[in-house]
Amino acid sequence: MRGVTLDVHRGEVLGLLGPNGSGKTTLLRMLTGYLAPTSGRVLVAGHDTVRAPIEARRRIGYVPESVPLYSNMRVREFLTFMARLRGVSAGRLRRALEDVSERLGVAEVMDARIGTLSRGYRQRVALAQALVHEPDVVVLDEPTNGLDPRQIIETRNLIRALGGDSTFVISSHILGEMEKVAHRVAILLRGELLAICRMSETPDLEALFLSLT
Amino acid sequence: MSALSVLLRKELHATFTSPIAYTVGGVFLLVIGYTFSLTLFFTKVANLTYIFHQMYVLLVLLVPVLTMRAFAEERKTDTLELLLTAPVREIWIVLAKFLAALTLVVALLAVSGVYAVILGHYGQPDWGPIYGGYLALVLLAMLLIAVGVFASGLTENQVVAAALSLGTFLMLWFADSVSYLLPAPLDAFVVNLSLIGHFTTFVSGSLFLSDAGYYLSLALLALFLTTRVVADR
Repeated sequence: MRGVTLDVHRGEVLGLLGPNGSGKTTLLRMLTGYLAPTSGRVLVAGHDTVRAPIEARRRIGYVPESVPLYSNMRVREFLTFMARLRGVSAGRLRRALEDVSERLGVAEVMDARIGTLSRGYRQRVALAQALVHEPDVVVLDEPTNGLDPRQIIETRNLIRALGGDSTFVISSHILGEMEKVAHRVAILLRGELLAICRMSETPDLEALFLSLT
Repeated sequence: MSALSVLLRKELHATFTSPIAYTVGGVFLLVIGYTFSLTLFFTKVANLTYIFHQMYVLLVLLVPVLTMRAFAEERKTDTLELLLTAPVREIWIVLAKFLAALTLVVALLAVSGVYAVILGHYGQPDWGPIYGGYLALVLLAMLLIAVGVFASGLTENQVVAAALSLGTFLMLWFADSVSYLLPAPLDAFVVNLSLIGHFTTFVSGSLFLSDAGYYLSLALLALFLTTRVVADR
């Protein structure tokens, strides 16, 4: 990444748009603290991801592009593990699991092994682990990758419904995706930030994207 | 609940529900039981020295199988990214994996303690070497597991991780044989790295801090290096 400066406001859905290799995943990984920037800094709710990594990470829920999950665990075990790891207290745990399983529509598969779930359910379980501790910032890398059309629509609706409570930063290389869920879109190319546009003021994102890239 | 205890519970669950643990445990106890029965019936001597040396060999051969999954599997399935973006320090992730594997090995050693009980019941064994032997095995297990977890942190291929740790164990095992070929003062340094050299004194009932320090310091070094490897992505 080179010279990228941007801020995301509370409750906003920010989309990162760019072709493959444009730096979307790298930027998200720096935001989550998985990668440290070689220069500059990343602040999450005021906490520096390098100097105060634990505090910064406590405020983030993250679903990487590959949707990593522990296949041998049951959904309930996995969500319990992730919730405890992210500091959800024993007293709040049961309520947190009930809430997130209802919101994400995974209540009926809570006792199923993750390895036996369909791609759509796996995506929902991954989203559930990112939301179970009610983070300030939710980071989703290509959240609709590999989903069927119905699941894509459900995921978009979910993000729209949840946006407002938490701040969302979402990457995608699909223009239509950004138009439907994001309040603002940052366009990246070869590690550089080309533009940030507000969707309400951008009637033709496709034309803008083509003109910039 | 602290992050370490959450991670440790997850690792213990993964360890004790894995067929690898039961296969390794079964092989370990079967071979030890077989050897104990044979040596006791043929020699009629209340002594576990031979058993301890066999447990040493078995740990060198079996620990790589136990530890190869530790980080290699997490890397391959990308779940390491989940752990490393959770609000926990890398050292807790490493320690949880180390302690879970150590718990399994200590449980196996505890089960093998039934042979010492049998000896105590029917004979009059010298307990010093038996206590020393078990202490040596626990210290040896700490070193082997720490190195095994480190090897697993270097790759996403479990077979490569197992081969790396086994190769390291064999080099440490044979260090005293190789040392005779080396010039001074390198020979003294290398002989002090010998895995078996420090083990034998314990099993004979002689406890030296230097021997315990050898196992503990190498284990700590391996755990420190693992943390660095995991943190460096």
